[in-house]
Amino acid sequence: MFLTRSEYDRGVNTFSPEGRLFQVEYAIEAIKLGSTTVGIRTPTGVVLGVEKRVQSPLLEASSIEKIMEIDTHLGCAMSGLTADARTMVDHARVTSQNHAFTYDERIKVESVTQAVCDLALRFGESVHDEDAMMSRPFGVALLIAGIDELGPQLYHTDPSGTFVRYDAKAIGSGSEAAQSELQDKWHKQMTIPEAQKQVLRVLKQVMEEKLDQHNVQLAQVTVDKGFEILDEKTLKEIIDDM
Amino acid sequence: MPDMSVLAGPQQHQFNPYAENGGTILAIAGADFTVVAGDTRQSEGYSIQTRYAPKVFRLTDRAVLAVNGFAADGNMFVKKVKQRLEWYRHAHAKDMPLRAIARLIQTMLYAQRFFPYYVYNILGGIEEDGSGAVYSFDPVGSYEREACRAAGAAQSLVQPFLDNQIYFKNQTAAPGQSHPTHLPLSDVLSIVIDSFTSATERHIEVGDGLEIYIVLAKGRSLQGVEGLRGLREMSSREDGERVFVLQRELKKD
Amino acid sequence: MNSFATKFSPTDADIELRRAQEIAEEEGMSDVMWGSEAGFGNLVNGHAFNIPSVPDPSSFLRLHTDDHADPNCKIKIQHGTTTLAFRFQGGVIVAVDSRATAGSYIASGTVKKVIEINPYLLGTMAGGAADCQYWETYLGIQCRLHELRNKERISVAAASKYLSNLVYGYKGMGLSMGTMICGWDKTGPAVFYVDSDGTRLKGDLFSVGSGSTFAYGVLDQGYRWDLTDAEAQELGRRSIYAAGHRDAFSGNTCNLYHVKEDGWKFIGNYDITKMHYDGPGEVAGAPGGGYGYDVRTQGRFSALAPTVPA
Repeated sequence: MFLTRSEYDRGVNTFSPEGRLFQVEYAIEAIKLGSTTVGIRTPTGVVLGVEKRVQSPLLEASSIEKIMEIDTHLGCAMSGLTADARTMVDHARVTSQNHAFTYDERIKVESVTQAVCDLALRFGESVHDEDAMMSRPFGVALLIAGIDELGPQLYHTDPSGTFVRYDAKAIGSGSEAAQSELQDKWHKQMTIPEAQKQVLRVLKQVMEEKLDQHNVQLAQVTVDKGFEILDEKTLKEIIDDM
Repeated sequence: MPDMSVLAGPQQHQFNPYAENGGTILAIAGADFTVVAGDTRQSEGYSIQTRYAPKVFRLTDRAVLAVNGFAADGNMFVKKVKQRLEWYRHAHAKDMPLRAIARLIQTMLYAQRFFPYYVYNILGGIEEDGSGAVYSFDPVGSYEREACRAAGAAQSLVQPFLDNQIYFKNQTAAPGQSHPTHLPLSDVLSIVIDSFTSATERHIEVGDGLEIYIVLAKGRSLQGVEGLRGLREMSSREDGERVFVLQRELKKD
Repeated sequence: MNSFATKFSPTDADIELRRAQEIAEEEGMSDVMWGSEAGFGNLVNGHAFNIPSVPDPSSFLRLHTDDHADPNCKIKIQHGTTTLAFRFQGGVIVAVDSRATAGSYIASGTVKKVIEINPYLLGTMAGGAADCQYWETYLGIQCRLHELRNKERISVAAASKYLSNLVYGYKGMGLSMGTMICGWDKTGPAVFYVDSDGTRLKGDLFSVGSGSTFAYGVLDQGYRWDLTDAEAQELGRRSIYAAGHRDAFSGNTCNLYHVKEDGWKFIGNYDITKMHYDGPGEVAGAPGGGYGYDVRTQGRFSALAPTVPA
């Protein structure tokens, strides 16, 4: 890749002669620097887990926000430049509410994912003679979890605006090891508690620090209760139970 | 020499883009079906423009829209609703549910809040839970789910009859008995036909033809529909909700 | 859009095309109505309303819609109402009638004049039914976004201010709404009156609509802060009954809601005619018997006056 590096990795709207958009590829690389994020789909819901890198003992671990609510039936976890994700999550929230306003129904998981991905390709785009809204691609990948009439679903989005549905997916720095572990352990009839423990086990494997309720965060979207971030007490119970 | 004095004074011009084209529409919801009907006369003032101008339209296999008021606005509105339904199908890979169509119609009518469509809409069909439903709208989008509703020129003739026959208003049940919450399809069809023949007798803007759309819930037997004279199926598939249209003649004087 | 192409092809066809596109955009037919955003393109950058191309759009609207009393105009917007809400020790009581009139015709007797904005906020409907329904639903999604962004429920004060600022932006254009935004937040029970003139008032007790004077009469004489829940609900019912009885534009049924700390609860629907003859039925706070009929027949009604012994 470094052999073909040239002028073509400067602009965001120019293909290289080999047909590549380098800035987009670099953005995908940025995610591999992010903390590990895992999602598992089960027949009754989706579980999301993230590693929170607590760089200093003076850092308030609870202020690190890597799992966010999109709507009562939708949640998302991120890895990469998390600041970029705020724009995307807000767009997802507005999209979801607008859908509820216009159609008096919950938006489908795929539809919000599509909406977020539409936004991902808005870089370098300008309307009329105005300045472009975004100068570079997003440097973040999302795991979007949700439930609609098609059941629980888990989507992965990346900076190229591509989205794919997964049964279980890991992103971030430890994603390679985590993904192969998920491939071994995932099965169709997983329960929510099994999925919770599996997410934690995968995170534990790839984390440098010792896993505890302060440096990981767990959330789930279930048929009964919708989206919820598990509090530290519940999280500790699950960790102790592992 | 023509008299110029009429042109001499100040002249007032008003922008009047609306007309009233008469006719009446009505819809009744049953337990697992909905009937939406309208006459086909279109008039302006005392002259009849056409004896066949449909006012009821199939939107999907489970939704039918009746439009009354200013025909040009109505036709344009139906066209735009259909367009939005298609866009929705492409974006979300499913047909729009009835209550979603109802809300969509509200937002579309309200978008014209300062230049309203002069139309009264009645939406009928089958909800996601399989029940029959009727939604009625005012011209700028206020809406409500009801069991039955009449609108248009003969609204004030038909609605009181419906209140009595459907809601059993001012009727007392025999001792030890109670009024049914839903009527069977055959009874509803008779009430609809009677409503229109009676409205035709007493209202000059109602008559010519009658189109009755019948929407049946998924899996409901055709009981009460089969063998009806002038019945035509409009549904796109047989294993979902089904739409039929029944055409009848009304007096033409 | 494509300035390069248009610069070098100033043909008539091109001008036609551009004009068509401009018209399409004016009607909100932009790209955002497609794809994942299909359907709410007009919401992405604020509401896009189509305005008639006349020198004075609001007088156009006034000419064609029955703003208040003109029964001859074509487009009839639902009107006529009694709504009330009051704050007391046990929360907020919201009571409304259910009649909609178009001129002297009763367009509906089953209107829902309490709008459930979300599980802890209620809005009432007086004036234009569509204006209230649309903007209070819109307020609902804005409140939800506030909650997602701030991880905290919006206060009643903030929600009502959002609505009043919103309608103030349309001042003079013909919106018609008189509403009470009711709820329970950190400050306790709260009621705000908001109308389309831009008025926003905080208070304990409000009644809005053509029947409000009748409702106030009953409400004011029965109101105390330390009303029990049952007494307060009965006062709401009784006030709407009074308005339904004396105001021709109000009636049919009464819908009653009670807002408490954990959100609102629908108490019941009461037929106003039934309340007159038999009372509201077996409900907490009701004295038993009809509100009106007994009073008029037990010897105090002239036609049935008991014979006074000489």
